[in-house]
Amino acid sequence: MRRQIPLALVMIFGIFMIFQYFVPHESSEWVYEFLLDWIYIIGIFALALGIWSLIRVSVEKIHSRKSGWGYPIITLAGLFLMILFGFIGRRDGVWGLYFMTAEGLSNPMFRHFFDYILIPIQSTMFALLAFFIASAAYRAFRARNILASLLLIAALIVMLRFNPYMGPIGPYVADTASWLLNVPNLAAKRAIIIGIGLGIVATALKVILGIERGYMGKG
Amino acid sequence: MRRSTYYAVGIVTALFLLSWLLRGWSLADERPDSYLRAFLVTVSAFLTLAIFSFLYKDNPFYKFAEHLFVGVSAAYWMCLGFWSTIVGNLFPRLSEEVSVFFKQPYQPGAYNIFYWTPVILGLFLLMRLSPKAGWLSRWPLAFIVGTTAGLNFIRYLRSDFIVQVSSTFVPLLGREPFQWQGIGDFLANFDLSATGQFAVLLTNWIIFVGVLCGLIYFFFSREHTGAFGAASRIGIWVLMITFGASFGYTVMGRISLLVGRLTFLFRDWLGWIT
Amino acid sequence: MSSSRLSCKRTKRGCPTSPLFGQVLAPASSRRCDLTARELPRNAKTCRTIVGRVPREAQRNKKPDIRLDIRLQDFQARLKTYTRHRITIRSLTALLLLLTALSGSQAQDNADSVLTSDLETSLAPAALPPAPVTELKAFDSKNDHGHSVTLNWRLSPDDGAGKNIVFAYEVYRWVPFFMDSLKSVREKLSQTESAIAELEVFEPPAKHLLNMHREGKPGKGFADSVKFYEDTLAASKRLLPEYRQQVDRLRDERDEGIDRIPSAHTSYPSEGEWRKVGTVVAGESRFENVGVKDKESADYLADNTPYYYRVDAVTVNPAVRSQSDVVGPVRSSGQWFNTGRVPVFVAVMVFGFLTVYFITRAKRGIDLYVRPLAGIDAVDDAIGRATEMGKPILYVLGLGTAADIATIASFTILGRVARRVAEYQTQLIVPCYDPIVMTVAQETVKAGFSDAGRPEAYNEDIVYFVTQSQFAYVAAVNGVMLRQLPATNVYMGRFYAESLILAETGALAGSIQIAGTDEIAQIPFFIVACDFTLIGEELYAASAYLGREPLLLGSLKAQDYAKAAVIALATAGIVAANLDWTWFTTLFRVSR
Repeated sequence: MRRQIPLALVMIFGIFMIFQYFVPHESSEWVYEFLLDWIYIIGIFALALGIWSLIRVSVEKIHSRKSGWGYPIITLAGLFLMILFGFIGRRDGVWGLYFMTAEGLSNPMFRHFFDYILIPIQSTMFALLAFFIASAAYRAFRARNILASLLLIAALIVMLRFNPYMGPIGPYVADTASWLLNVPNLAAKRAIIIGIGLGIVATALKVILGIERGYMGKG
Repeated sequence: MRRSTYYAVGIVTALFLLSWLLRGWSLADERPDSYLRAFLVTVSAFLTLAIFSFLYKDNPFYKFAEHLFVGVSAAYWMCLGFWSTIVGNLFPRLSEEVSVFFKQPYQPGAYNIFYWTPVILGLFLLMRLSPKAGWLSRWPLAFIVGTTAGLNFIRYLRSDFIVQVSSTFVPLLGREPFQWQGIGDFLANFDLSATGQFAVLLTNWIIFVGVLCGLIYFFFSREHTGAFGAASRIGIWVLMITFGASFGYTVMGRISLLVGRLTFLFRDWLGWIT
Repeated sequence: MSSSRLSCKRTKRGCPTSPLFGQVLAPASSRRCDLTARELPRNAKTCRTIVGRVPREAQRNKKPDIRLDIRLQDFQARLKTYTRHRITIRSLTALLLLLTALSGSQAQDNADSVLTSDLETSLAPAALPPAPVTELKAFDSKNDHGHSVTLNWRLSPDDGAGKNIVFAYEVYRWVPFFMDSLKSVREKLSQTESAIAELEVFEPPAKHLLNMHREGKPGKGFADSVKFYEDTLAASKRLLPEYRQQVDRLRDERDEGIDRIPSAHTSYPSEGEWRKVGTVVAGESRFENVGVKDKESADYLADNTPYYYRVDAVTVNPAVRSQSDVVGPVRSSGQWFNTGRVPVFVAVMVFGFLTVYFITRAKRGIDLYVRPLAGIDAVDDAIGRATEMGKPILYVLGLGTAADIATIASFTILGRVARRVAEYQTQLIVPCYDPIVMTVAQETVKAGFSDAGRPEAYNEDIVYFVTQSQFAYVAAVNGVMLRQLPATNVYMGRFYAESLILAETGALAGSIQIAGTDEIAQIPFFIVACDFTLIGEELYAASAYLGREPLLLGSLKAQDYAKAAVIALATAGIVAANLDWTWFTTLFRVSR
C-alpha cells in the first residue's frame, strides 16, 4: 500500500499530462496550470527540508570537532544572517516583514550581501573556468587515440579561426572552422538530440508505467 | 591549524584592512560614505582573491569563502522562494487575512480551495523528518515525478523526435538556389567554390550521412560489426569532431569571464585603471 | 506621416526602394527593402510582396532573384501609370531647389511639404468606393481553448485588380452597449484596488513619522505639516473599510455582468453598435478575433455568445469604403481534441506500443543482446578501486531537478552504485543541489543499502543538501574533492557551465571519473577531463545496463526500433522532398 498509492499517483498524473497536450479545451488548460503551480509550492516545502539538512550536517560537523570544524560556523552564520535580512526590513523607519517593494529587495543588508558577497564569489567561480579550460585543453593535447585526436584537431581549428598570425593559411582555417561549426556539428547534434529525445521518452514512459521505480525507494 | 597558518591569516587580514583604509581615504573627496563603500569593495576583492587562491591549492581563505557562499546563497534562494511563491502566489489564494498581513492583494476565486492540496502535499513531504510517517513523503514526490514525466514525454517526443526528423527532409539533389537539371547540366556548370552547386550538394549529403551514422552509433541492441560497425565508427568520428569544434568555440568565451573579474580587481578595488 | 517619408530628402539619398522614382529593385548591397504598405497605398499589395529579405544567395551571386523579378515586372507595369506624376515631381523638385538656393535655409523643408501635398493630391483615390468583400464567413477557431472567432472572405474585386484602390480591410464586431457599463465597472474596480494598496503602503510610515514628531525627534524626510499626516491617516482609517466594501460589491457586479454577456448579445441589432476589432492589409483574406480567457481582463471574449461581424474594404481615404454583408451569429468554444497534433498522437501510440511489446517479450525470457558500454563497466571497477584504497565515492547528480528525466535516470544508477557500495562497505558521498532531488536520493540510497542487506550502514549524512546556487554548489563539491580525496567521482545527470570546474578539479585530485549527461554543450568537457563518458542517450541506456533487468532492457529495444524508424523516415522524407511530395512532409507538421 505504501508503494502502490505513489505508483498509482505517478501513473494518473503522468497519463493526464500526456493527454492534456491533445486537449486544447479550457478546462484541461486550467488543470494543467493548477498542477504546475502545485509543483512550485511543494518545491518550497522541500527547500525547508534542504535547509534543515544543511543545518543538521553543519551542526554535526561542529559537534564532531574534526579538522575544519570551525568552517560550518561560517556557513550557519551566513545562513541565519541572510534569512534574518530576508524577512525583516526597515522602511521609512518602521521595522516589519518587508521584502518585495517597488525598488526590489527592501533590506539594505540583504542587498549588500547579495551585491558584495554572492555576486563576486559567483562571478569568480565562473571566471575560474578560464583556467580550467586551459588545463582541459592541455589534457586534450595528449591525444590518446584516434577519437581524441579528431577532437583535438577540430578544437584547434576552431580555436585558431580568428588568429591573426596564421599567415596565408588564415582564411582557409577560418573557412574550415565555420564549415565544422555548420556542417558536421549540425549532423552530430541532430543525431544526439534524436537519441536523447528517445532516451527521455522511453525513460518517462517507464516511469509512468511503474517499470522504472529506482527513485521511489523501498518499504 | 598550524602556527604558519595563523601568521598568514594575520598578514592577509592586515593587508586588506590597509587596503580598505587607503581606498576609503582616496574616495573621501568624491563620496560621503567612502569608507563604507571601500569596505564593501574590499570584502568583494577579498572573496574574489580567496576563490582564485583555490587554483594554487585548498587553503583557509578558500574554505572561508566557500562556506560563507554556501550559507548565504542557501538563505538567499529560500527567501526568494518564500516571498515569491508562498507569499506572492499561495497566500493570496488561501486567506484574505494572511494576504493583507503580507501586503499582497487578495485574489479570490471559486477554485482557490484546491490550493490547499499542495500545502497538504508539502506537509507530507516534511513528514520525512518523522520516522513513523516518513512514507507519506512519497506522495508529493510521486505527484511531481508523474506530472513532469508526462510533460517531458510529450515535450521531447515532439521537439526532439518529430521536429528533428522532419527537419532532415532536405532535397539532396536540388535545393535553392540550384535546381537539379540532370547530370549533364551539373557537369557542364561544375565549380568547386564554396557556394557552387557541388559544395552545396556535398554539404547536404554530409549532414544526411552524419545524422544516419550518428544514430547508428546509438544502437544498443545490435552488435557493431561489419557495415553496421563501420557506420557506427563514422558516427562516433562525427560526434568527436563536433565535440572538438564545440570545445574550441567555448574557449574564447570563458577567457572573457576572467577579464571581467580582473577588471573588478584593478579598477573597482585598487583603482589602478580607470 | 507616411506622406512626409515620400519627400525629396529620400530622393536625394537615392531611396533605392521607392517605386515612385523608378528604382524598384533593392540593390545587392541592400538587404532589406524598407518600403511599407502605407507608403504606397494604391499598390499596397504589390509593395508587400517585395517588402522582406532579399535571398542571401541572390546577393552572393549577384544574380537577381527570379521570383522577385517576376513580381517586379508586374510592379513596374503598374508604375507606368505614375510616370506622369514622376516627371511633374522631378521638375517641381528642381524648381524648388533653385528657390532654396535663392531664398534661404528653410526652403528645403518647404519644398518637402509642397512636394508632399502635391503627392497627396496626385495620389488621391477616386471618390467611388471599392467593391465590397464577398463570401464572408465566420466560424469558431479550430484546435483552441475557445475565446476566438476566425473570419475569411473573398477579396474585393478592387484589391490588386479592377480599380485597385483597396488599402486595407477593417473587421467590425457588433457590441451591445451593455459592454460599456461592464467596462466602467472593471475600471472602477481597478481604481479602488489601487487606492487601497496606496493607503496600505502609506499608513505605517505616516504613523511612524507622527510618533517621532510627538517624541520631539523629527525624522529624516519629515514634512512640516503634522496636520497633513493626521488628516490623511484619519481619512485612511475611514476610507479603507469603505473601499474594501466597495471592492466586494464591484467584484460581484462584474461577475454578474460577465454572466450576462451572452444574453446581452441576443438583442442584435438594437442596443448596440459596430466596433472595429482589427485591421488587415489589402491582399489578406483572413482575420482571427482572439480574445483572452481571463474573465477579469478587458479583452475577455466570452464563449457561447452570438457574435456578429462585418468587414469593410477601405481606401486610403477612410471615408471612402464599402461594407460587406453581416455574418452571424457565430459562437466560439473550446475543442476537446487538437487535430493539428495528430502526428504526435500517432508517435505516442506507436512508441508506447513498441515499448510495451518488447517489455512483454523480455518478460517471457527472450534473451536480448546489449552491446557493452565502457562507462558502465567502469562503475563496478571504480567501486572496487575505492574499496581497495579505503577512500570514498563521490556521486554528483548535477543541477537537474526531480522533473528532469536525466536526473531520474541518474537515480537508478545511484541505486545500483549504493548497493555495490554497501556490499563492498565503502563510503559514499552525495551532495545535492535541489532539495527534492536530495529527498529522492536519500530514498534511493536507503533502498540500495537495504537491497545489499546492510540497512544499518545507511546514515543521513551520506546524502545531504548544499545550496540551490550553481557556483556555491560547485565550490562545496570542489572542497569535498580536495579534502576527502574520493577515489572515484561519478557525475550523472544534467550539468551546465560547472561541468568543467568539477571534472577538472576531480582530475587534478587524481580521482577516476565517470560522467554522463544529456546536455550536449557539456559533453566535450567531460570527454576531455573524465576517464569515461556516457554520451547523451547512453546515460538513459545506462540504467537498463546496470540492472540487466529484462523489463528495462525491453525498452532499449523499443528505442532502437524507433531509431530505425527515424532512419527510414528520414530517407523517405528526402526522396519525398526531391520529388516535391509535399503531402509527405506535411504529415509531420505539428501545430503549436
